[in-house]
Amino acid sequence: MSGEPIVLHEPTPQQKRIVIIGGGMAAARLVEGLVARGLGPQTTVLAEEQHAPYNRILLSAVLEGTHRPGALALREKQWYADRGVDLRLGSLVVDIHRDTKTVELAGRTTVPYDQVVLATGAIPSLPPIRGVVRLDGSMDPRVQAFRSLDDCARLLDAIRGEVVNLSADPGSLSGSQPHPTVRHAVVVGGGLLGLQVARALSVRGIATEIVEGRDHLLNSQVGTTAGKVLKRSMAQLGTQVYLGARATRLTDEGLKLDNGYTLETDLVVLTAGGRPRANLARRAELTVNRGIVVDDQLRSVDDPDVYAIGDCAEHNATVTGFVSPAWEQAGVLAEVLAGNQATYEGHRVVARLRATDLDVCVLGEPENETGEVVEIANPVKGTHRKLVVRDGRIVAGALVGDLSRVGLITQAFDRQTVLGEHEAGQLLLPEPSSTGSSGVPQLPDDAEICACAGVTAGAIRACQSLEDVRDTTRATTGCGGCAPSVRQLLATRQTSPLPKSLRTVEGTPS
Amino acid sequence: MTDTHCPYCSLQCGMTLSRKGPRLEVGVRSQKNKHSPVDEGALCRKGWTAAGLRGSRERLTTPMVRDRATGEWSAATWDEALDLVASKLTDLRENHGADANAVFGGGGLTNEKAYQLGKFARVALGTSQIDYNGRWCMSSAASAGNQAFGVDRGLPFPLADIEKTDVCVLVGSNLAETMPPAARHLDRLRENGGKVVVIDPRLTPTGERADLFLQPVPGTDLPLALGVLHLLDAVGAVDEDYIAERTTGFEDVRRSVAAWWPEMVERVSGVEAAQLRELADLLANAGKVMVLTARGAEQHAQGTDTVLAWLNVTLALGMPGKAYAGYGCLTGQGNGQGGREHGQKADQLPGYRMIDDPAARAHVAAVWGVDPETLPGKGRSAYELLDALGTPEGPKSLLVFGSNIVVSAPNATHITSRLADLDLLVVADMVMSETAALADVVLPVTQWAEETGTMTNLEGRVILRQAAVTPPDGVRSDLEVIAGLATRLEAVSGATRWQTDPEAIFTELRAASKGGKADYSGITYDRIRDEDGVFWPCPEGSGGTPRLFADTFSHPDGRARFVDVEHSGPAEEPSAAYPLHLTTGRVLAQYQSGAQTRRIKDLPDDGIFVELHPLLADRVGAHDGDPVVVRTPRGELKAPARVVTTIRPDTIFVPFHWVGANRLTNDALDPSSRMPEFKVCAAAVSA
Repeated sequence: MSGEPIVLHEPTPQQKRIVIIGGGMAAARLVEGLVARGLGPQTTVLAEEQHAPYNRILLSAVLEGTHRPGALALREKQWYADRGVDLRLGSLVVDIHRDTKTVELAGRTTVPYDQVVLATGAIPSLPPIRGVVRLDGSMDPRVQAFRSLDDCARLLDAIRGEVVNLSADPGSLSGSQPHPTVRHAVVVGGGLLGLQVARALSVRGIATEIVEGRDHLLNSQVGTTAGKVLKRSMAQLGTQVYLGARATRLTDEGLKLDNGYTLETDLVVLTAGGRPRANLARRAELTVNRGIVVDDQLRSVDDPDVYAIGDCAEHNATVTGFVSPAWEQAGVLAEVLAGNQATYEGHRVVARLRATDLDVCVLGEPENETGEVVEIANPVKGTHRKLVVRDGRIVAGALVGDLSRVGLITQAFDRQTVLGEHEAGQLLLPEPSSTGSSGVPQLPDDAEICACAGVTAGAIRACQSLEDVRDTTRATTGCGGCAPSVRQLLATRQTSPLPKSLRTVEGTPS
Repeated sequence: MTDTHCPYCSLQCGMTLSRKGPRLEVGVRSQKNKHSPVDEGALCRKGWTAAGLRGSRERLTTPMVRDRATGEWSAATWDEALDLVASKLTDLRENHGADANAVFGGGGLTNEKAYQLGKFARVALGTSQIDYNGRWCMSSAASAGNQAFGVDRGLPFPLADIEKTDVCVLVGSNLAETMPPAARHLDRLRENGGKVVVIDPRLTPTGERADLFLQPVPGTDLPLALGVLHLLDAVGAVDEDYIAERTTGFEDVRRSVAAWWPEMVERVSGVEAAQLRELADLLANAGKVMVLTARGAEQHAQGTDTVLAWLNVTLALGMPGKAYAGYGCLTGQGNGQGGREHGQKADQLPGYRMIDDPAARAHVAAVWGVDPETLPGKGRSAYELLDALGTPEGPKSLLVFGSNIVVSAPNATHITSRLADLDLLVVADMVMSETAALADVVLPVTQWAEETGTMTNLEGRVILRQAAVTPPDGVRSDLEVIAGLATRLEAVSGATRWQTDPEAIFTELRAASKGGKADYSGITYDRIRDEDGVFWPCPEGSGGTPRLFADTFSHPDGRARFVDVEHSGPAEEPSAAYPLHLTTGRVLAQYQSGAQTRRIKDLPDDGIFVELHPLLADRVGAHDGDPVVVRTPRGELKAPARVVTTIRPDTIFVPFHWVGANRLTNDALDPSSRMPEFKVCAAAVSA
C-alpha cells in the first residue's frame, strides 16, 4: 500500500543489523518481509550481480522471446533506497568472520552484522567435457551456462546479435533476425531447465538437440513412460534427444558423445543441474551437508546468528532448488528476524515447465513417493498422467502432455484434501464437455426455457408468435438470452411433437 | 398509469404501475417512453411480480409492541409507539450518552430517506453510531475507487457503453441472474463482435454467455489480476504514454507483478496458466477494455485490494477515461450508490463529504441550522456497530430502517445474540421480517409503489420513483417516522423543520450536497422526469456528467493512482476439519434477505440449498435433492443438495436469501472498506 511517507533513519546502536548475502529471489522476498515489518533501515543486501533482484525463473521466457527483459526486475534499486535498505550491487563476499561478526568483501571492506543470512543460491555444475575450458583457461566461446541474467544476455547476443535492455524502459519484444553464425545448438542436460532452453532456442529458429546422460528426460521428476512421451513430443517439435549419452569433448567438428556420435554445433548450453553454493559457509566452519544445514527457524545448527534460505539451504535433509519453497522460507525467516514465532515445516513442490507447446507439471516426487499409483496414458496422443495417492491424499503426481484440471489437482495436492475412492481416477480423465442447445426442439414440455420469467417449453409451444410469447408468458423480456430457443420452439411447433419415447435421444430415431 | 422504477436491484428498470381494481399491475415503461437506456424496457420476474405485496395479508398495518416478559405482541397507535420509542431513546441518552443510541439503514432506501436518516442520527440523536447494509454491498469498490480515482461512482459511464467496448471482463458478477436485463448489453456487445470474459468459481448463466470463462478458487481474483498485469507488461502491452501523462505509482506496481508469472498464479488460483495467457492476449490486443467487478470480487477481507488490482490492469492499459472503456463496479442494491452519498455511512456527510473534514462539517451544519461543533464524528462501520450492540462500550438501542440484519449479516448467530442484548430494538418494515420479529417495537411503513423519492442507480444516474397508489390505512412512510421521532426528541433545528415531503427533502439534500463530490445541486424532480435521469456530479447549471475522467481524475493532481497490492489470501483457509471453500450468492427469483420476494406468491421459493459438484457429492455420499449438512467454525446448516457440474469441485455454494447461509459466513473485515468476507470461508459438508 502506498500513502504513508517513509521515515529513513540509520540504525541506532540498539537496533540489530541484518546482513543478507545474495541478491536472488529468496533474498528479494526476505527483504520485502523485513520491510513490511519495519526492519528495512536495518537491512543490508550484498548482491554479487550488478542487477537489482530479478525473476530468475523467467529467463527462459526471455530467451524464448515471450517476456520482455525489461519486465524481469522484482524491485527497482530506488525501491530499496526509499525504504532504507542498503542494497550493494556487485558485492562479492569472500568470508564470514563469525568471531567478530563481520562479513568481508573482496577488497577487504568489512560489514558488521548482528544476524547474517546466506541466500547464496546454487552454482551450475560443469560437466567434465574436454575442450570446454581451453588451454589458456578461458571458456570456449561456443559454450554458455544459463543461470543468470548476464548468461541470458550473452546467449541472446550469441543467437540474435541482440543487446538486451535491462532497464525498465518499455520496448517491445525484439524482432531482429537470428544471428547468422548460430544455426545448430546442443543443450547438455534433459531436466526442466534443459527442456525449456531447448524449446526457447528451437522457437528462435535454431536447430537444437539435447544430450542427457540418464535413460530418460526429466529423470529426477518423472518415470520412464512419461520420459518416453516427452522424448517423442520433443522429436515432433523438431528436437532430437540423445539419452544415456555423455558429451565428452568439444572439438572443431562439434560435440563428441560417448556413444560415438558427433553433433555439429555452434552453441553448447550447459544446464546439467546445480548444487548449493555453500563455500562461504564451509569456510566459516558451518555444518554443510549438501546444503547449509538449518533448523525449523532456518537458523544454522552451529550459530544462532547465522541463517540460510533458498537453494543454498538444507532443511530436514532436503535441498529444493525451486522458488516457492525459497519464498516460503523467506516468509518464515522475516517473522523469525522480527522476533516472532514461526516455523518452516517443509514445502510441497510443484514444478511447472514453462515452454511453448510442451506441457509438464510435476507434483512432489512421483518416482520416490510411496502410495497407490493411478495413471492414464495415451502414447498416441503424447499424454501421460499419474497420481500417487496415500490415505486418500495426492502425495505426488506427474502430468505430461495434458494439463486438464491441473489447477484442481494442484489445489488438492497443496491442501492435502482427502479424496473419494473414485476421485483420483476421475481427475485424470478428460473433463466431460457440456451439451449445447442443439436439442431445444426436443426438450420436454416441463423444461424451463426462460429463467427470468420462469417459462417452460410447453408454455411457449402453446403460443402462436413471438409477440404472443412476450405478452402472455413474458419469456424473452428479461435478460433476452432465451430468445434463440424460443424462436426454435416456435419454428418447430407446427410439426407434431415427437412421440415421448423418442424424445430422450437426440438425433435420428432408431 | 404512473411512471416509476422497479423496487429491487441497482439496475432500477423503468416500469409503469396501473391500478386494476384492487390490484396493481406492472407494465413496461418503454411502451410509453421509448427511451429506457439501462434496461431497454426489459424486466425480470422479480420486477414483473413486484406489486404482489400490495394488499397482501403479510403487510403490517399497525405499529406493534412486544412485551419482553411474555414475548407477546400487541397493537399500538402511532402516538403510543413513537412516544414509547422517543422516551426510551431519551432515557438511554441521558443515562449513557448520545452514542448509546444507534441507527442502521439500508441500500434500498431512497436518497431522501438516506439523507434524512443521517441527519436524524447526527442532529436529533446526536449519535455517531450510524451505518448501513451498503457496507456489505459495494464498499470495497467504493474504497478502491476513492483511492485510485479520487471519487466513487459505481460505473463512471452509462451501462449501455458495454455494447461498444471490445472486451468486457466481469469479475465475480452473475448479472444474468442478479440483474437479468443488464445481460442484454453483453449479448449486444457480442453481436457487435466484442468479447465477454467471466471470472467466477461457478459457471453461471452469465458465464455461459462468455467467450472466455475462468473458474478460480474463491478469494483469488486478486492474484489473477496480478498475473494478467504481469503478462501485459511482459509483452509490452501497457500504455506508457497514458501512464506517464495521467497516472502515478506505476513503477512499484510493475515490479510487484514480476513475481506473479502464470504458473505461480495457476498454483494459487487454480486457473490454468494457458487460460490466463488467453485472457492477457485478449486484453493486449483490444483497443477498448472494460473491467467490471461485483460482489464476488469485492466481498472479501481483501476486497478493496482485489478491486485495486483489477483497476491497475485497466490503468496500465490506459482505459479509464477512454470512451467505452475503463473500470466500473456493478452495484447491488437499488440505491447502493445514492445510499452511500448522503450521510448514512458512519464516516460521511451528504454530498460524499467526509465527516472529519472541518469544511464539510461547516457546510452541512449550516444547511441543517446547527453548530458544527454539535455534529458527532466518525462512528463504527456496519459490522463493528452490530458486533458492539449491547456490550458495555456499545450502543444500547438500535433503530433499523430498510434492512433485515438477522438474514444478511455475516456470522449471523452471533449478531442475532447482540440484538437480543439491546435495551431497545426498533424496526421499520412493511412485513414481519426475521429482524422485526426480534424487535421491541415494529413500525409499519410504506412500500415503493406508495411513495415518491429518488434513487441513484448503478451508473450514478439519479432517477425518480413516483407514488402510484395511496398506502394502506395505518402505514406511514419512513420519512414520517423519522419526523415523528425527531419532533418528539425536540430536535427542531434552526433553519429547517423535519420535512416529510420527499421533494422538499430533496431540495434540502441538493443544498447539503452542493460543492461535494456527489453534487446534486443542479438536479430537480422535473429535470429527472424530462431527461430520463440525471448523472451526478451535477452542480447548478450543469447538464450532469454521464462519463467521468475523460480529461482528469478527481485527485488534486488530476491523476489516477496505481496502488501496489499484494495477495494474502482469505482470512480462513481450508483445513483438515473444514476442507472446502464455501461461497454465497443469489438466485434469480429472490432478492437480498428475501423479506419481500419470499412473500410474493408468484415467485418460486424453493428454499435454501447446497450446490456441489458430482466429484464432491461422490466423495461425501450426497445425492441430488437429499439433505446435506454444511459446517463452518461458526455454525451449521442442513439443506437439500443440488449436484451440478458448474461449480468447482473444491467449493460449495449456498444462496443467502434465507436464514442459514450467513450463520456460516466469516466476519473477517477488509481493513479499508470494513467489508465482511461473505464470499469465502472454510467449510465441511457431509451427507
